[in-house]
Amino acid sequence: MPRDAVSQPPVASASPEETAARLLDDNRAEDAESLLSDRIRSGGGTIPVWRLLGRAIRAQGRLAEARTIQARLVDASPGDAIGRFDLAETLLLLGDYERGWREYRWRYHMPHTKAIERKVQRPRWDGKPMPGRTLLIHDEQGFGDTLQFMRLAKEAKARSGAHLVLEVTAPLLPLAQRMAGHDIVLPRGTLPPPFHAYCELMSLPLVLGLRLDDLPGPIPYLTPDPLRRAVWQQRLSGLPRPLVALVWAGRPTHTNDANRSMSLADFSPLAQSAGTFLAIQKGPAAAEALSPPSGMPILSLDDEIKDFEDTAAILMVADVLVSVDSAPVHLAGALGRPAFVLLPMVPDWRWLMDREDTPWYPSVRLFRQRVRRDWRAPLSGIRAALEAGSYASGTGP
Amino acid sequence: MTIPQAIAQASAHWNAGQADQAEILCQKVLAVWPGQPDALHLLGLMAHAFGNLSLAIQHLRQACLSPRAPALYFANLTEMSRQQGLLAEAEEAGRRAVSLQPDLISGWNNLGITLQEAGKLRESAACLERVLMLSPNSADTYNNLGNTYTRMGELEKARRHYAQALRLNPDYAVAQSNLAYLLNELGDYDDAAQAARRAIDLNPQLSDAYINLAGIEMARLRYAEALGSVTALFTFAPDHPAGLIALARILKRVDKTPEALEAARRAVAAAPHSSEALIALGEVLQAMNQHQAAFEAFEAAAGLPRTCPEVPFVNIAILHMETGETDKARASFEKALSINPNNVSALTNGTELKRFTSGDPEIARMEALLTQEQQLGLNDRLALRFALGKAYLDVGDGARAFAHLHLGNRMKRETFSFDIEKTGSWMAELATAFDADLLDRFRDVGCSSQAPIFVVGMPRSGTTLIEQILASHPDVHGAGELAFLETISGTLQPYPSCLADLPPARFAEMGALYAERVAALSHGRRHVVDKMPANFLHVGLIRLILPHARIVHCTRDPADTCLSCYTKLFAAEQRFTYDLTELGTFHRYYQRLTAHWRTIVPNSHFIEVNYEALIENQERETRLLLDALGLAFDEQCLSFHQTVRPVRTASMQQVRKPLFKTSAGRWRAYADHLQPLIKALDGTV
Repeated sequence: MPRDAVSQPPVASASPEETAARLLDDNRAEDAESLLSDRIRSGGGTIPVWRLLGRAIRAQGRLAEARTIQARLVDASPGDAIGRFDLAETLLLLGDYERGWREYRWRYHMPHTKAIERKVQRPRWDGKPMPGRTLLIHDEQGFGDTLQFMRLAKEAKARSGAHLVLEVTAPLLPLAQRMAGHDIVLPRGTLPPPFHAYCELMSLPLVLGLRLDDLPGPIPYLTPDPLRRAVWQQRLSGLPRPLVALVWAGRPTHTNDANRSMSLADFSPLAQSAGTFLAIQKGPAAAEALSPPSGMPILSLDDEIKDFEDTAAILMVADVLVSVDSAPVHLAGALGRPAFVLLPMVPDWRWLMDREDTPWYPSVRLFRQRVRRDWRAPLSGIRAALEAGSYASGTGP
Repeated sequence: MTIPQAIAQASAHWNAGQADQAEILCQKVLAVWPGQPDALHLLGLMAHAFGNLSLAIQHLRQACLSPRAPALYFANLTEMSRQQGLLAEAEEAGRRAVSLQPDLISGWNNLGITLQEAGKLRESAACLERVLMLSPNSADTYNNLGNTYTRMGELEKARRHYAQALRLNPDYAVAQSNLAYLLNELGDYDDAAQAARRAIDLNPQLSDAYINLAGIEMARLRYAEALGSVTALFTFAPDHPAGLIALARILKRVDKTPEALEAARRAVAAAPHSSEALIALGEVLQAMNQHQAAFEAFEAAAGLPRTCPEVPFVNIAILHMETGETDKARASFEKALSINPNNVSALTNGTELKRFTSGDPEIARMEALLTQEQQLGLNDRLALRFALGKAYLDVGDGARAFAHLHLGNRMKRETFSFDIEKTGSWMAELATAFDADLLDRFRDVGCSSQAPIFVVGMPRSGTTLIEQILASHPDVHGAGELAFLETISGTLQPYPSCLADLPPARFAEMGALYAERVAALSHGRRHVVDKMPANFLHVGLIRLILPHARIVHCTRDPADTCLSCYTKLFAAEQRFTYDLTELGTFHRYYQRLTAHWRTIVPNSHFIEVNYEALIENQERETRLLLDALGLAFDEQCLSFHQTVRPVRTASMQQVRKPLFKTSAGRWRAYADHLQPLIKALDGTV
């Protein structure tokens, strides 16, 4: 989800708010906090100042404090969707799903998101049964979001009793088609049949009243294409095992990318921990596979991976995925395949805090930073897990 | 693909929220058939959904140029034009819609709400009643009809319609918000605030609910809360015209006039067709004594369609009253009443312009309005009670006068909270803090300006008269009731106890700040009068920050002063005058505090003028006063009532006349009605 923090070149007469926002972008949350606290002490405690303070405190992992500030801001100006979205992200990260999903519905009411809201001219589904009628569910954001939340189509179909039309971004269409829980899947932008109600994919948790206890639902909910799987089985046979699929960077346009992405060079501590590393990295960072850390046995597959069907098939063959917080993690989890995920100290809300597992995906293990921007602890955790050869969740050191 | 197929597919894409695909198909149709109405209509609906109202209207206008444009397109153009404030165009399109297709519900509905906004209320009600017949269970229609009845002054009927809307749809935020507005009009502030908050809970981005809540907080004198509500609105709707109008009015009320002016100008810029924005601008300009500019704003407002077209004429009349142009004021009130004979504001404000004699038909007219009291808003009920009180006092009918006054004061007193004992302790604290010792310690550290003259005292004790006399002198400018000193004392926290620890330089700074602000108002004259009566609280502060400024203290018979207060519905916040016991008690506290000042401030700088003495011997008292102020005697000061200058206080009509003696000892005739006051004054009468 895009948000309003954008990095700008320094200007001569920046306001304290602008300076604080830039400090936050530069990962200097402590400095931002002290600047903002001074501002508040000198009587400048406006809503934007408190909002930035909430973010500065959240960035340092003091979530309860951040939640208090953000909840107070929502009380003071209930119509401020930015404040509500900030609060939603903190509540969801803390696992308060009940209020979290409620506040999360404000994601398209912010000044910079209003225009990207899909303005469907039919009522939003209220969660009630609508047998004999048609319900359109459409995805919204990144690939990871769609992969993570499309499992809920099945529950939506059961709850509504409706003819369920699922619209997903085209690259995920074949995976969605093989998934149970819908009547038709369409690629985004094609004309759906006439429908009576709709719901955004990521509003389903709110409408369905999703609780942590309800997770993960049936796993796996995605399956690979058998033919592709056979092709990759063949392609990767004979390579020294274990086969460790590797992803070191997310989509660079993601707002939190600097926090979550790494470079392949960062993985040098793992160089000797696998028989073969399979670089399934896509995008501009993929080229790094051509100059790996010394001694790392790595196979660059960028040119051979045409789509998510290939990635899914590779994950079926590989022993484990090692990845930063990016779409392949969700694909592995949805396929029920083992994955080790490297997370920043304050990760995206979907990973919650202070746990090594995730209720969303039983086969996924989380390795978290202990100090901001310091990947040493998670890397050494993963190294130990790889060396132990135990890829299933919950069995690591 | 044929054109009808392309249009059908474009609509289907738009229904599914696939804006790009819909737009591409529309553009393809328009490429082969420029002006194709269905494609233009769909593009208009899309532009509207994405918040581009003026583009949407352009598309709809063009669609409606087609010879076969259906009624629905005119109905949609009606609503979009209304939203843009283009009421004339909206009305025309609405009439086309219903004449093309008389059973089109949205046509009647959209025409009905347009007519409501244009002030054509009976026609509006007829349109909307027709909608109700076509679709009897529509919460929207009940809500819309409620709005029309509110504006017609049929408040009970309006309340029933909102209730019905909320029965049909309990989560109907807009109806909750409108109900809040109605309850505010009725003076039911707590329920009003609750309804507004409920509306905000249901739809946190419903702008009107924030504006209504601000109005409610204003009405119960909670200005910080009012400001908080519009601030919350601006976090998601920064240029909301009605929000800016509300902001301008709040800022004006708390005497932040430059900021109020900026807000009002932004409102006019954001909504150039809004009559209400121009009224707000005029009111702020009026508060800044820019009467010509205010007049022009009200005139422009009168030229635009609006719900209550008579209102700008009431504003113009009050403006004329302030500048002493009573004939013009009367004419404007008449004009307003010719448009709406039931406009209470026109009727009651006009009573100040005359002395009633028994049998005056206006008395009967006001009494008649009160017979349907439950239909009237609280402010109208209050205005009628006080106006009738004044009328019956004029004709010497004390029993009738006080029946109205007691009721009016009680109703007003119920709208706010006030603790007279707390006020008393605060005044005692002021006397303790500003003792001879403190004044001595900081002697002559303040600003050396001699320009300010403070006229202080109880309200209705002659402060306006003294200012008018002084302002008639060629060396003196009368600046009216200024809030500067209150603002300065507000920055000293905790006041007054923090003063003892301030560095002496701060006193000079504060004095210089005050002197600078009044210098800007001086019109080049040597002295500027600040006649904020309540500055009697701050005599100690004045001594510290402006040791050379003269303070004129107006005294008057306590019972006469309090009687006069009690008969007035003050425009500004004056919490102690609506209960006879509180009023008398307040006067006692005031007497104690001013007695303290008298003992510690030399009489060269604390000059007392007695109202009764002034009436008895105008020339002698005037000479003594001018002499004490170091001003040469000037004949003008004796014919003060001829001086042309704006006066905005409750006494504005009295200072337009030569001195009259009817006011002295006036209370004795009404002693029977004033017992709680006389008791509270405790022998000081």
